[in-house]
Amino acid sequence: MYTAPFDYRRAHDTQEVVTWLQEDPDNTKIIAGGHSLLPLMKLRLASVARLVDISQVAELQGIREDMGGLRIGAFTRHAQLAKDPAVREAAPLLASAAAVIGDMQVRNRGTIGGSLCHADPAADLPAALLALNAELVIAGPGTERRESLDAFFLAPFITTLAADEVLTAIVVPRMVPGAKSTYLKRPHPASGYPVIGVAAWVSVSGGRVEDCRIALTGIGPVPFRAARSEQVLTGRAFSREAIAEAAREAAGSGTLEDDEDGYKSQLCQVYVSRALGDIAQGAG
Amino acid sequence: MAEEFASAPHFVGARIPRTEDSRLLRGEAQYLDDIQIPNLLEMAFVRSPYAAARILSVDSSAAWNIPGVRAVFTFADMPFVLPQNGPSPIDQPVLARERVRHAGEAVVAVVAESRYIAEDACEAVHVAYTPEEPVLDMQAAQKDRPRRVHDAAPNVFYHQEYETEGFQAAFDTAPHRLTMTFQTTRQTACSLETRGIIAAADPFSGRMTVYCGTQSPHRLRGDLAEMLQMEEHLLRVIVPEVGGAFGMKAATYPEYLAVVQAARLLRQPVKWTADRVESFLSDVHARDDIHDLEVAFDQRGQIIAVKDHLMADGGAYASYPFSGAIGETSLAAKVITGPYDIAHLSTVIDCTYSNKVPLGAYRGVWGPVASFVQEGMVDRIAQFLHLDAAEVRRTNLVQPNQLPYRNAAGMLYDSGSFTESFEHALAQLDYTRWRATQEQARRVGKYLGIGLSNFVEPTAMASSEAGSIGYESCSVRVEPSGTVTAWLGLGPSGQGHETTMAQVLADQLGVDLEHIVVLHGDTDAAPLGGGTGGSRSGPLGGGAAMQAGRKMRERLDVYAAHMLEAAVEDIAWEHGRAHVRGVYARHVSLRDIARIAYNDVRQIPSGLPIGLEVTERYQPPRPVSFSNGTHAAVVEVNPSTGQVTVLDYVVVNDCGTLINPLIVEGQIHGGVAQGVGAALLESLVYDDSGQLLTTTLMDYLLPSAPLVPRMRIEHLVTPSDGALGVKGMGEGSLIASPAAIAGAVNDALSPWGVSFERLPIAPRDIVTSLGRSSAAPV
Ligand SMILES: Cc1cc2nc3c(=O)[nH]c(=O)nc-3n(C[C@H](O)[C@H](O)[C@H](O)COP(=O)(O)OP(=O)(O)OC[C@H]3O[C@@H](n4cnc5c(N)ncnc54)[C@H](O)[C@@H]3O)c2cc1C
Repeated sequence: MYTAPFDYRRAHDTQEVVTWLQEDPDNTKIIAGGHSLLPLMKLRLASVARLVDISQVAELQGIREDMGGLRIGAFTRHAQLAKDPAVREAAPLLASAAAVIGDMQVRNRGTIGGSLCHADPAADLPAALLALNAELVIAGPGTERRESLDAFFLAPFITTLAADEVLTAIVVPRMVPGAKSTYLKRPHPASGYPVIGVAAWVSVSGGRVEDCRIALTGIGPVPFRAARSEQVLTGRAFSREAIAEAAREAAGSGTLEDDEDGYKSQLCQVYVSRALGDIAQGAG
Repeated sequence: MAEEFASAPHFVGARIPRTEDSRLLRGEAQYLDDIQIPNLLEMAFVRSPYAAARILSVDSSAAWNIPGVRAVFTFADMPFVLPQNGPSPIDQPVLARERVRHAGEAVVAVVAESRYIAEDACEAVHVAYTPEEPVLDMQAAQKDRPRRVHDAAPNVFYHQEYETEGFQAAFDTAPHRLTMTFQTTRQTACSLETRGIIAAADPFSGRMTVYCGTQSPHRLRGDLAEMLQMEEHLLRVIVPEVGGAFGMKAATYPEYLAVVQAARLLRQPVKWTADRVESFLSDVHARDDIHDLEVAFDQRGQIIAVKDHLMADGGAYASYPFSGAIGETSLAAKVITGPYDIAHLSTVIDCTYSNKVPLGAYRGVWGPVASFVQEGMVDRIAQFLHLDAAEVRRTNLVQPNQLPYRNAAGMLYDSGSFTESFEHALAQLDYTRWRATQEQARRVGKYLGIGLSNFVEPTAMASSEAGSIGYESCSVRVEPSGTVTAWLGLGPSGQGHETTMAQVLADQLGVDLEHIVVLHGDTDAAPLGGGTGGSRSGPLGGGAAMQAGRKMRERLDVYAAHMLEAAVEDIAWEHGRAHVRGVYARHVSLRDIARIAYNDVRQIPSGLPIGLEVTERYQPPRPVSFSNGTHAAVVEVNPSTGQVTVLDYVVVNDCGTLINPLIVEGQIHGGVAQGVGAALLESLVYDDSGQLLTTTLMDYLLPSAPLVPRMRIEHLVTPSDGALGVKGMGEGSLIASPAAIAGAVNDALSPWGVSFERLPIAPRDIVTSLGRSSAAPV
């Protein structure tokens, strides 16, 4: 399958990207790694008159320390996230999720910004970034806004991003010192996308869970925080019983769809339980 | 066997790496899409978005206006059909005629200067449809509900009944009876290289050269000539490297006719290659079968009688020349008793049309389904009687002293090692140890299962998806320089025939392998043969190579005897040189002989023709020759996630004489991989409106390398009475493996009393059927 004809432009700064988007927002699309957009164009499911390539926009690249956390350019590739020392130090959960995306080729091309803006309900990174309480920096015509990732995903492939906006950076707070984390995924046998992905971190102090975050992807129409599970754990001893109870609450924290037989709820329970178990054993 | 060779066999039976591998591994092989032809146009198809609809109008004016578009064709421009073989009068049109009958059916063909332009033009073609209610359920379809797929014919296009004498009495008086319904979902071969074709007229001769990755080059040439009303000698089919075929590429497809006809009409070369979505929508599908089964047996598990209603959903048309529905059911009905001695059989077959992609051949055709049914039936009996699954198999297996054995359907098992292969497999697996491990594991909440699968594989049949040519052909030419060129009528797609056929010839001719080149797949050069399919190339192609080699050697012996002034009987060959037996000092080389045969023809011994060329055709002594074997699998099933892991896998295979064990094992590895797919992953899913939902490799799950188990393979050798004692073996591994894996999963789940009779078994099926309460997370 081949794409329909399209026009291609390479932008050099964010302003230029916004300007080009503004000219014809409905028919213009940003291309980052192209690993989600191009397959759609080849299947002729997306018809795009003009592509704006953001690979040469310096402002969208690089990982910087920012007010104690990280500021990750939207054009950072999965492979960079996986190996970047600052990410591994401040947010190892993000590095470990990036490391298991697709295969090497996908990780070498795909970007964090592309993954978030594409909003595939089975993408890996959203779970890690939800658990890390990430915030998005979005540039639009004459404005820049910040939005919590919690509010960003509206439905499969739909976000709050307007057609003339650019995601410029993702701000990731540093993980609580001493917290242990893990990203656990069951890859789909064909695509490698998660059938379910669980991102979690837990900080334990004096034998009790001081704070924790758990987020799930792949299993519902949008990735979600397992807020109920977090509540169950917080303040409790990090015990087998607490984990089992938290795991039971995971599915109820979000919307699953197509779960009349309880299969998806069961997967939530099993994988949250395993993820927390890994953390408890220090394997995370 | 030794007397079949010029000298002791050096090459047949040896583990010789494939001649083909060097070019394949270096990426130097030339597949269809690598072929470059000047002024090549490309075709793309507008395909039906509906499962069933009337075509009201086709407006292609916008498409014609796109620069670079050379032609837009509908059925009116190429009014050709693929006739249906057999009883039903329904033909398959090259492009849809008035009605569309499956989503993806080609409606309009666009030819343009590039594929990009052709696809853009396809988008610009406007076809108006009135959708009709699709026929999607094969059991309803049997009653012509909700309607007929073809107005002119009932949906049941093939119906057969068969019953052994005394069946009913035997069935009625048996101590026990069980009923079960087995089902396999649609799959497709999913070859790595998609289908494609190029047609290019040869401006010198006016002939048409057709490049196509077909399994039957000569049959394709004949089909094209017949269907397009061309003269056969004005057509030449060349088969480039083929990236997998698996029976799917044996069919003649509407797209092939469209491309050749377009090249004729436009007087310019035209190419079409399927993209993956098109492959799913237009390559033949397979395995859409239901078996409603009743089995009668005694207290020991001895099976007395089997009654089976076999159904297959044949799709919108009978694929040409081989309807997969008929193939899968009619053959399954003949071998549904497998290697078990079952006296009574009653079968009813119903093949129906539907608004789905036509059903055709996929490796093993009837076999994976029948084995799954037959082994599933044995397991259910064992469960019912609380007997060990291996014990019940022992009770039923055809014993060595019963061979040759005619089964209840009338098929003759010429020879085999049914009990031996089973016992060897149990020993290889260490069955009793695994049973003990299984017990222990259950106590700690781990669920292991053992699956056993005994199979028979009818090979070298006169008729298969490759066509109905019951022989194979081989031409051998000793070149003037003394090297050897051979051509076969086969159509290999990765089976290594260039290696195996050279091995057979080398032993016949007494020359070394590197002096032989084996060619195939060009109808201008290769002698007319049947092609590759139905596990026929080894026994039939090998037989042809043996016969042609022997014929050539007889001639060479006369030369050598004449030149060495010795008796023909005293001539022996080694490394391309003939000597008088025991006297190595006196010898002549093949080169010396070839020089005389071509250049110094006055010296040719009297009675021999000029030159060194022979063409031989080999027809086996029997219409079918049975291979057999046993697969045994051990799996672990995680009851809380439904994930299945194969822990151990054993194959005992008996295909008679092995030409090349390395290649046989490669075939087995691939078949087991496909068996994992059939048992656990692969499923073509249609929705209620007849849309195929699985049209990319993101949706259609193929086994990837980590899912393919390591396996131990043992060979038994029960030679056939055909050439070299070779039997076919291309399909047995896929015939046996789905049953072995499914049986192992069912065995693992036996504590729940759950047993799956439908493939594939997906994690979700397992979790759901175990029920949430009993499946606590581990
Ligand atoms: C074979 C394969 C396997 C894969 N497996 C996985 C997997 O296991 N897990 C997983 O998570 N993902 C997987 N992916 C998806 C991969 O991670 C993609 O790269 C990613 O989802 C999109 O990133 P991209 O940079 O390629 O975006 P693109 O394809 O370039 O763009 C995607 C969308 O985002 C928009 N966009 C991109 N950047 C911006 C921006 N800065 N601002 C605004 N809009 C923007 C584009 O306009 C487009 O709509 C797989 C992809 C393939 C092809």
